[in-house]
Amino acid sequence: MQHVANLTPRRVANDLNGEAAPNAIEVAGLNHVYEGRDGTVPALEDIALTVGAGRFVVIVGPSGCGKTSLLMMLAGLRRATSGTILCAGKPIADPDPERVGVVFQEASLFPWLTAVENIEFPLVLRHAPREERRRRALDMLNLVGLTGFDGRYPQELSGGMKQRVAIARGLVQDPPVLLMDEPFAALDEQTRMTMGHELLRIWSQTAKTVVFVTHSLTEAIYLADEVLVMSARPGRIIDRIPVVLPRPRTYEMMATDVFGRLRDRIWQQIRQTDTKGAP
Amino acid sequence: MRRQPAPSTVRWLLLVAALLLWEGLPRTGTVAELFLPPLSKTLAVLVEDWTLYAQALLVTLSEVALAMLIACGAGILVGALVGGVALLRNMFLPVFSSLYAVPIVILYPIFTAWFGIGSESKVAFAGMYGFFPVMLSTAAGIRTIDAQLLVAARSMGATVPQRIGRVVIPASLPTVLAGLRLGGALTIIGVVVAEMLTSAAGIGYLVTNYRTVLDSPRVFAAVLMILLLSILFDALARTVERRTLVWAQAGRRERIVVRDDRRLAAATSPV
Repeated sequence: MQHVANLTPRRVANDLNGEAAPNAIEVAGLNHVYEGRDGTVPALEDIALTVGAGRFVVIVGPSGCGKTSLLMMLAGLRRATSGTILCAGKPIADPDPERVGVVFQEASLFPWLTAVENIEFPLVLRHAPREERRRRALDMLNLVGLTGFDGRYPQELSGGMKQRVAIARGLVQDPPVLLMDEPFAALDEQTRMTMGHELLRIWSQTAKTVVFVTHSLTEAIYLADEVLVMSARPGRIIDRIPVVLPRPRTYEMMATDVFGRLRDRIWQQIRQTDTKGAP
Repeated sequence: MRRQPAPSTVRWLLLVAALLLWEGLPRTGTVAELFLPPLSKTLAVLVEDWTLYAQALLVTLSEVALAMLIACGAGILVGALVGGVALLRNMFLPVFSSLYAVPIVILYPIFTAWFGIGSESKVAFAGMYGFFPVMLSTAAGIRTIDAQLLVAARSMGATVPQRIGRVVIPASLPTVLAGLRLGGALTIIGVVVAEMLTSAAGIGYLVTNYRTVLDSPRVFAAVLMILLLSILFDALARTVERRTLVWAQAGRRERIVVRDDRRLAAATSPV
């Protein structure tokens, strides 16, 4: 229905080639310690995870468990003490926006650039021709439902609209993987629900692999193919919960027994691991 | 209910009132002409001695221009280093902040000893006078950049020069420009004060010179020129700021956001 001409539907492409879809992300033996004031503090411990191409994986866990750190390492923004991270079969050493797009918690849009200029930014960095980058940015703006808002500065956009622009910016180089670090945490509940729904629509139209970090269990189950639960520090992955709900997801599913049981299972895991947060 | 007059109308009315008082008070004998010569007489000597004032203005202007070049150039350079490099910041920022509080004018006699009573000492003194606000605001502008913006730029593959050129500079620009406006105004003060203290040329010199012979209209004519010079500079600086920082004003049109949100929610909410 929309302008998605620039985006390769990867799942389809893989089927046509007759190859097994390669894993979008493979992490093995990942450990991280950082130097604290009182010696070394283990932050992440023996993390191993694989994310199949086109999957939507959500990471949940107590505050300070290192889920954001893990995401930053997947993005190449932070280096782990040991372990390997492969993205599309190749190691991630530095940020590579053509393989991995990142959407942050606070919109992190540049206030001196308009919406369309913000989306163009990654293309400007690699000196793409003016017409091409404008066309692609406008396509992305279209995709996230902000047609006609191209000339607005971030200060003139609401929180939800800013995050739409941030998503468009993460997608503009058509990376196979999109990493999202609590992108809707600063939004009010109603906007947050709408944005979750919008994200699923965008995801189904673009066939990206998404790794999404959140505090909200409802959001996690609503969005995910699979929920990874992390323990309190040092962060380990203590459970992998496939979400068996059919797609497309609807708000009504939140009231079902399946949804409730999934939510309960995750909550029990987190409660047991997070001693500080125990009631 | 009666509408209140617009602030700009009030401002203009106050200006007209001040000019009328300037003319009226000495004319009616309320204030002696020695203390306040009428506006018309002041303007008359300005026209009469026009070449003299123009020459003095030229001297002052060229000194101000050079001093601003020093203040802005060195201020931005040192400010960027001190703001951007943690080691330099910890070593020097407290020192510079304290120095800013020192009335630098007490150093002017030393400047005349080093550079003579010609233009050089004025340029050096005013350059130093304007240097501090430029330097401090540049350092502050760079130090207060939202770190998240730099992380975001890095995630999009920005190299170090790209991060400086496309994030650090635009992000610190509002603070730096405010510093340049303040620093520029101070260099004008610096030059004029220096001319008033010890010199043989420039508008400041005319003020001192005519004051010693009690020629009030000519003193006021010189004061008027300095006043106009400062106002002109400020207007120019504000225009540059407005033109450069279009985006900073954009946020003031906030009301449209609410309307858009409703429209967007209606368009995208699932059935």
